[in-house]
Amino acid sequence: MALTTAPDPTRRGTGSVRPPAPRGRIGRIRHGEGLAGYVFLSPWLIGLLAITAIPMLLSLYLSFTNYDILTPWSEVEWVGLANYERMFTNDPSWWHSVRVTLSFALIAVPLKLAAALGVALLLNRAWRGVGLFRGLFYLPSLLGGSVALAIVWVNMFNREGAFNSFLALFGIEGKPWVNDPDWALETLMVLAIWQFGAPMVIFLAGLKQVPTELYEAASVDGASKFRQFVNVTLPMLSPVIFFNLVLETINGFQGFTAAFVLSNGTGGPVDSTLMYTLNLYITGFTELQMGYASAMAWVFLIAIALITAVFFSTGRFWVHYSDGEDR
Amino acid sequence: MHPATSPTSVPDGRTYRTPLLRRRLLRGLLAAVVALPLVGAAAACGDGDDAASDGKVKLSIFWWGGEARAQLTEQALDLYTKKNPDVTFEKVWQANQGYFDKLATLTAGGNPPDIFQIDDNYLAEYAARNATLDLKKYQDSGDLDTSKFPPSLLQYGEVDGKLAGVAAGENTQGLVYNKTLLTKNGLPEPTTGMSWEEHIAWAEQVSKKTKVPGTQDPSADYKAFWVWLRQQGKDLYSGNELGFTAEDATKWFELWKGARDRGATPTPDVIHEGNATDITKQLVVTGKSATSWVWVNQMPELKKNTADELGVIAYPGDPSGQWARASMYWSVFRGSKHAEVAVDVINFLANDPEAVKLLGTDRGLPSNMDLRRVVSDDTTDPAMKQSIEVENKLAETFGEAPQVPIKGHSKVRSELTKAAENAQYGRATPAEAAAQFVEACKAAIAS
Repeated sequence: MALTTAPDPTRRGTGSVRPPAPRGRIGRIRHGEGLAGYVFLSPWLIGLLAITAIPMLLSLYLSFTNYDILTPWSEVEWVGLANYERMFTNDPSWWHSVRVTLSFALIAVPLKLAAALGVALLLNRAWRGVGLFRGLFYLPSLLGGSVALAIVWVNMFNREGAFNSFLALFGIEGKPWVNDPDWALETLMVLAIWQFGAPMVIFLAGLKQVPTELYEAASVDGASKFRQFVNVTLPMLSPVIFFNLVLETINGFQGFTAAFVLSNGTGGPVDSTLMYTLNLYITGFTELQMGYASAMAWVFLIAIALITAVFFSTGRFWVHYSDGEDR
Repeated sequence: MHPATSPTSVPDGRTYRTPLLRRRLLRGLLAAVVALPLVGAAAACGDGDDAASDGKVKLSIFWWGGEARAQLTEQALDLYTKKNPDVTFEKVWQANQGYFDKLATLTAGGNPPDIFQIDDNYLAEYAARNATLDLKKYQDSGDLDTSKFPPSLLQYGEVDGKLAGVAAGENTQGLVYNKTLLTKNGLPEPTTGMSWEEHIAWAEQVSKKTKVPGTQDPSADYKAFWVWLRQQGKDLYSGNELGFTAEDATKWFELWKGARDRGATPTPDVIHEGNATDITKQLVVTGKSATSWVWVNQMPELKKNTADELGVIAYPGDPSGQWARASMYWSVFRGSKHAEVAVDVINFLANDPEAVKLLGTDRGLPSNMDLRRVVSDDTTDPAMKQSIEVENKLAETFGEAPQVPIKGHSKVRSELTKAAENAQYGRATPAEAAAQFVEACKAAIAS
C-alpha cells in the first residue's frame, strides 16, 4: 500500500475524515426535521413492521410447529426442534439442495464478479461509443430475475436451441443442456454470470474513483500495466470488490426464478436444479409443510448471516480504504 | 391540488404559507399513514359479514382454467343468480400454475372462497385437514342429488368416510397416438387391451420404421404407474400406507428400462420434456413421440396443437385397471357462512340441465349420467366427440375407483419423477431407484 500514502479525502467522502460541522446548527435542524423525517419514514417503517418484522417473527414461531397452512392457527401443534432435527438428520433432499446451492454460488459468483470486473476495465476508457456498450452490458441485469429471460434461456439451451445450432456450425454436436441433469445447473450458472451488468456498473464507478496520479506515479516508477493493476487498481478497488462480493453471494444463494422456470417448478431433471429456495417453496406451498419450510428459511437466514460475517471478518485483511486507516 | 386553492394570493403569501401548508400536508400524511391499515382492517371485517339480514348472499367461488372455462362457468353462475336473485357470486379464476399456492394462502389468511375447485392431488390434503365441508349430510337430506352419478365417481370424492368433493366431471387415463404417422407408414394402430409387452413391441416397431420414437417412457408418470399397479393387484395407496413395495417399483422401472434399451422410447432428456404438465409440450404434439400418456379429456386441447390426426385408447394391460376418475371436484370450505347455499350451487352445477349443457365437457364428462347423454348428443367438436366415445366405451370396463390419494401425495409424485429419471439417465439401476423411491415415500407419508 505504499502507493496510497497521499489520499485525497474529498474523493472518498467518508464522514470520519471531514471535520464535524458546528453542533448548534445541526441540532436545530435536527429538531425541526426530526418529525418530518419520521413522517416520511413512516410508510417504510410501517411496511417494515407489517410485511417484514412481524411475518418474520411469525415464521420463527411457525418453524417450531407442524403448521401446514390449511390448519387454523388455534390447532397448530408445537413440535419443538423436530423440524430442525428432521432437516439435519432425516431429509436427503434438504442436504441435496444445500449442495446444489453451494456449488451454484461457489462457481457462479466468482465467475460473475470476474466477468464484471474484466468488462468494467475494458469499458473504463474513453473511447467512442463506450456508453452504448456500457448500456448493452448492463441490459441483462436490468431484466434481472425475470421469468421471460429464463424462458428464453430454456429455449436457447435445449436440444433444438440456438446454442446447439451455433455449435453445429463448427460441427460440434450439442447436448440437451437444460434437460440433462449433468448440465442443467451449469446452464443456470451461465445465465447468472451473463447478468454481470449490475456489479459491472459498480466496478466502473469504483474504477473512476482511482486517482490517476497513482497510475502516473506507478508508471514513473516503471510498473508494468499488470503491476499497476495488481498494486494500484485492486487495492483501490477492494472496498467495491468487497461490496459486490457480499451482494452477489447473497444473490447467488437466493437464486430462484430461473431454476423454477427451467424446471417447471420441480427442481428437475433429477433434482439437479433444486436450489435451496426452490426446495423451500416446494416444501411450503406444494407439500403444504409450512412449519418445516419456515425452519428451512431460518436455517438459510442464519447461514447467509454467517457467510456474510465471515466475509466481514476476513475483509480487514484485504479491503483497503484510501483514507489511511484500514477498517 | 395547488392551483385551485387560492391563486390570487400566491405571490404575497408564499413565504408565509409554505411552512403551514407543509405542516398541514405532513399532518395529513401522518393521519393517512396511521389510518390506512385501519381502513384495510375494517374492510376485511366487512367482507365476512355481508351475510346481511336482507337475505342477500354473496358467495365467493374460485377455480383454475382458461378463458373458455371461465366464460362457461360465469354463464352458468349467472344462470343461478337469475333463478335465485338473492345469490350473487364473487368469481375468481386463474391459470393452473400457482392455483393451489393461492388457494392455500387464501385459506391461511382466513379468507377462503366458499366454493372452490380442487383435484384428486389435493382433495385428501384438504379433507384430512378438515378444510372441506363434509357433504354427506346434504346428500342424505337430498339437497345434494347424486342419484344420477356413476357410483364409483361419487365414491372417488370420499375421504375417510366423508364426502369431501363432488365430481365436476369424469375423466380417465388415455393413450393418445398419432394416427397420421401410423397410416402414412402402414403401421397398425394400437388397441385397448394390448399387454404392456405388446405395447412396447409395437412402439419399437414404430420407432424403427418412422424414426419417431413409438411411445413415451411413462415411468415417471404417476397415473401410468398407478394403472399398472392396479393391474398387478396392487394400488398406489392402501389406507394410510403405500399400496406397493420396492419390488413392484423395480419391476416397473425395469419394464421401461427394457423399452428404452430396445429403442421404443425417446432419449431421457426428451422424456423429461414430455413429463411437463403443459399440454403444448406433450411429445405426441411436438412430434417427438408417436404416443403420449395423458387424460382422455385433454384430447381436444392436444388436437389444437397439432395438424395430425390423433387416436385415443386406454392404457395398456387390462382396462379394468382404470376407473371413473373425477377430473376435478367442487368443494365447500368448512368455515363457509353460507354452506347451504354453496351446496345448492354445486348441486345446480351438477344437475341442472341448462347449466350442465352450458358447461359441456369442459371439466370432463358431466357427472350426471342422464345429462351426459344429452351433452354427448349435442357436442359438435369432433375431438371432444371422440373422447366422449372412448370414455363411454371404456366406462363399460372400468374397475372400482381406488381411494383418493392421501396426504403427502404431491411428494410421492415428485419422488417418483426423481427415481424414474435417475433410472432413465442411468444414474441408478431400477432396483436402486425403486428402493430410494419407496423409502422417500414412506418418509413423506409419515411426516
